[in-house]
Amino acid sequence: MLKPGEKGKITKIGAIGPLKRRLMDMGVLVGEDVRVEKVAPLGDPLEVTIKHYNLSLRKREAEGILVEVVS
Amino acid sequence: MSVECGVRDAELQAEVAAGINLCEGKTTITIAVAGNPNSGKSTLINAIAGTRLHVGNWPGVTVEKKEAVFEYEGKRIRLVDLPGTYSLSPYTQEEIITRDYLVHEMPDMIIDVVDATNLERNLYLTVQLLELEIPVVMALNIYDEAEKKGYAIDTKAIEETLGIKVVPTVATRKNGLHDLLKAAINLAEDPASHHPKTLNYGGDIESAAKFVEKQMKNAYPSLAEKYPLRWLAFKLMEEDEGVRGEINVRIDALQIEDAVRHLKKAHEEDMESIMADARYAQAAGLTWEVLKRPELRKMELTEKIDRIALNRFLGIPLFLAAMWFVFKLTFDVSKPFADWLNAMTSGPFKRWAEAIVGLIHAPSWMSSLLTDGVIAGVGSVLVFVPVIFAMMFFITFLEGSGYMARAAFVMDRAMHAIGLHGKSFIPMLLGFGCNVPAIYATRTLENPRDKALTALLVPLMSCGARLPVYVVFIGAFFSSHAGTVLWSLYVMGIALAIVMGIVFKKTLFRGEAPMFIMELPPYRMPSIKSLMIHTWEKGKHFLIKAGTYILAVSILVWFLLNLPWGVENKKDSYLGQVGQVVAPVLKPLGFGNWEAASSLMAGVIAKEIVVGTMGEIYVKQAEVEKNAEKPAITDDIIDMGTSFVTALRNSAENVFSTFRIASLSTQEDEKRVGLKSVIQGTFTSLSAYAFIVFVLLYMPCVVVAIAMRQEFGTWKWFGIAFAYQMGLAWLVAFVIYQGGKLLGIGG
Repeated sequence: MLKPGEKGKITKIGAIGPLKRRLMDMGVLVGEDVRVEKVAPLGDPLEVTIKHYNLSLRKREAEGILVEVVS
Repeated sequence: MSVECGVRDAELQAEVAAGINLCEGKTTITIAVAGNPNSGKSTLINAIAGTRLHVGNWPGVTVEKKEAVFEYEGKRIRLVDLPGTYSLSPYTQEEIITRDYLVHEMPDMIIDVVDATNLERNLYLTVQLLELEIPVVMALNIYDEAEKKGYAIDTKAIEETLGIKVVPTVATRKNGLHDLLKAAINLAEDPASHHPKTLNYGGDIESAAKFVEKQMKNAYPSLAEKYPLRWLAFKLMEEDEGVRGEINVRIDALQIEDAVRHLKKAHEEDMESIMADARYAQAAGLTWEVLKRPELRKMELTEKIDRIALNRFLGIPLFLAAMWFVFKLTFDVSKPFADWLNAMTSGPFKRWAEAIVGLIHAPSWMSSLLTDGVIAGVGSVLVFVPVIFAMMFFITFLEGSGYMARAAFVMDRAMHAIGLHGKSFIPMLLGFGCNVPAIYATRTLENPRDKALTALLVPLMSCGARLPVYVVFIGAFFSSHAGTVLWSLYVMGIALAIVMGIVFKKTLFRGEAPMFIMELPPYRMPSIKSLMIHTWEKGKHFLIKAGTYILAVSILVWFLLNLPWGVENKKDSYLGQVGQVVAPVLKPLGFGNWEAASSLMAGVIAKEIVVGTMGEIYVKQAEVEKNAEKPAITDDIIDMGTSFVTALRNSAENVFSTFRIASLSTQEDEKRVGLKSVIQGTFTSLSAYAFIVFVLLYMPCVVVAIAMRQEFGTWKWFGIAFAYQMGLAWLVAFVIYQGGKLLGIGG
């Protein structure tokens, strides 16, 4: 899992069904660059930047998204 | 007002104000307005249609539907606001409503509101809208912000690539709206001018779709009359359950599996993902062609604010401070006005009505019905109006400014633990002031499950109307530990909300919790006009819809209390009689007498009425009031004016006074002193505590019931709230009383 400030390229979206479709509708696609911006004060959810906008999602929802770290 | 058709004023508003149905016999151009959430769609519609907007609900769901009919350049236009959506997938209510409306109602065109600062994700929806083969005009909105960011957008290139008209707009400043409406009218008058391009999703997808289309044409030729076939082919390939069920054909006859088998194999993906990828590829490709971003990205205001607002250490304190402010403003700003309205209805209005009834020598029961039933009922409706206006104003502000999403982000972890959503916090908090605006505030939750669960738990938040009951009983029995006892009630409400949240999560709302995936939109200053319209609409709705019910219930309770007419003893009134029947049920709780039972029943109008009714039942009515000299009408009118000015001033002062919580003030009423000594004789300290716990937990008041009915379009959720709260109240009061007796406390 990426830490705040780290960037990665999405290699696989492990989720299935509505969750996967929702992620894809929001622009979370294979090959996309994603950057973890923040973790909420209580430790969940996360804020990421994707397609030049800010998206928040719970860690559970982000679990299946595999990335390869880009420096 | 006589406004001729075809007269074109300089001001957009004036034209819109020309109103409805002035040009009979003309065909109406129906325009559906679609767009992403946060694309400024709402502001755009408000700017165009203003107060002509009619707000209702989409049939069968709680999603708001806005519509307006107005004249523009001699044309009658019907605007239909579709729910904000990111996509037309079949998963959320908003998406299904949008899709069903577009496919079945076939509007003349779609105005697609696109956020120019977030082009790619917005174009993803545009791409899907184009599949429906309905003419599209694009409003490239928030154009000023895009320019400020240094974005250069080639609108001509978008027009050429998609074959649709693109109009840059800044809805908050009403820029480009004339051009937008003109473009829409041109398109309606000359549909032939519209040459939308069919976007190519790639050879393999296109040939599979062609194959499915051909199969459909052969097997079910009538489908083409009802659906755009290419779109239908995509939906069937995506295995869209909703569409499959709806078209009612034998799917296997269409050999769709054959068409998509090699696609799935080649992409190693399911068809939904392949299609989403293909659509995004179009959106991304177009964005790449038409948008030039500056090389160096400067740190934006939103980022700067979020560094602090969402900071690990500061995030929660700041959130709590913001919430404290919202809570305070909502209740303190509205309180003086509520008090003023209350004083007016129980003072001058009541006196005037009495005077009029006196003039026509009406019987005393009629006078009582009018003043204690009708006018008191009207009064109990009116007192809620200021707080609903205030709540709606602040909620809309939080949403429009972008902070609502942050509030959800900060609180989600804690709220999620009891099955709620981060955004549930705000309705719960408002609940401490008054449950009614809190129920209305649940509309900020998009998902129906989150919304329903939040509304079910809101009544456990101890509202301001319960406080007078606590105050009387605490004063009579626990004056040495007043703070602790009061505190215990609030904490008990919260603790039980947590317990019930977990119980509901495991029973009524079993299954996967709704997703959280949510955009954190840039901070923006909401347009004053949008704020005003939303606030006004909500207040108006409450007055008309809820007001009728509340009035009816209030009159009903009057009948219960006063009939049979002329009863000397309240015990013989219908309410007293019902109280006698109910009393045995309350016996194990320590207050099984008809007085307590009747007071509790009267409290369904508002819990504070429990105290008032007890006063009436226990204490002989003070005759002092009746002998007082009645002020003249002129005095009344002057008093109305001056007291309103006082209310205005108090309201303004409350904004600035930081420490006084007007809404929770515990001032004692002189009249209640008499009541105190009476209840000291009938209750023990243990049964008194059981009684106030019962008041905390038992059924929500009528106004909450009506708010729930209005927000959900069904009595179902109120029914559940009623049942579980009655059970819970009885059970907890039982445990306290019987447990206390066993332990030998306060016997």
